Amino acid sequence: MTFTGLIGRICMFPLRLIINTCVALRIHPNILTFVGLLINVAAAFELARGHFIRGGVIIVVANIFDFIDGKVAIELHAVSAFGGFWDSVIDRFSDIALFLGLIYLYSHLGRTDYAMITAIAMMFAIMTSYTRARAESLIKKCKVGFMERPERIVLFMIGAFTNRMAAVMWVIGVLSVFTVADRIIYTYRELRETEEAVA
Amino acid sequence: MSNPATLPVRILWNAFFWTYERATWQYDLMVIAILAFVWLTPPSWLGDPTASGNGPLGWFLALLDRN
Repeated sequence: MTFTGLIGRICMFPLRLIINTCVALRIHPNILTFVGLLINVAAAFELARGHFIRGGVIIVVANIFDFIDGKVAIELHAVSAFGGFWDSVIDRFSDIALFLGLIYLYSHLGRTDYAMITAIAMMFAIMTSYTRARAESLIKKCKVGFMERPERIVLFMIGAFTNRMAAVMWVIGVLSVFTVADRIIYTYRELRETEEAVA
Repeated sequence: MSNPATLPVRILWNAFFWTYERATWQYDLMVIAILAFVWLTPPSWLGDPTASGNGPLGWFLALLDRN
């Protein structure tokens, strides 16, 4: 087993308990998704005030909701097309909220350079999701590139808990640019292959 | 591989054009590289507006300077 696989298995134990509780209480998954967004907004406020540890703790709580909504939906047999759409849309709002918190903080500190780096990281984080969604309307699957949402969120947590948010913004920014480029290249190749097969 | 010079190029290309799943050794390697960058790079090198201290690498360089 890999190191990251082991961490995933360890984290599943407490999450399993929370999922079972939500299923027992029959909480609708769409409500869990929305509560996750509200908690993420609270985390963004803490980041904006420079309270990274507090922000990090709130991000962890918010993303528990984010993680369990899909699992609860499956167990409650409440999986729906709208649920998937709702989850994706709310995830984008959550992402943007966290980035906006940091942009506010860096602007407040008079650091337009980092406000800009964070804004670019935010732009490419959103484009990462958009390129995949748009590509998958044309091709079967477009799951290439490293920097997806789970990686971004874990990096946010690491940056908040260890007070290394600037380095994290560089990593998210640069790897998100690569991820968007990967998806464009991959989609271009797949579409060209399909066209050649037809012709 | 016939030409050893192609190996580093292939590694770089595979790191750029990422197609590996999570929980693979390639993924672990990427995570280690990212964590090393985040934790070892002295915040002053990046002009970090909020971080305090020099980080492990900064501490090590300061130690070398003193000696």
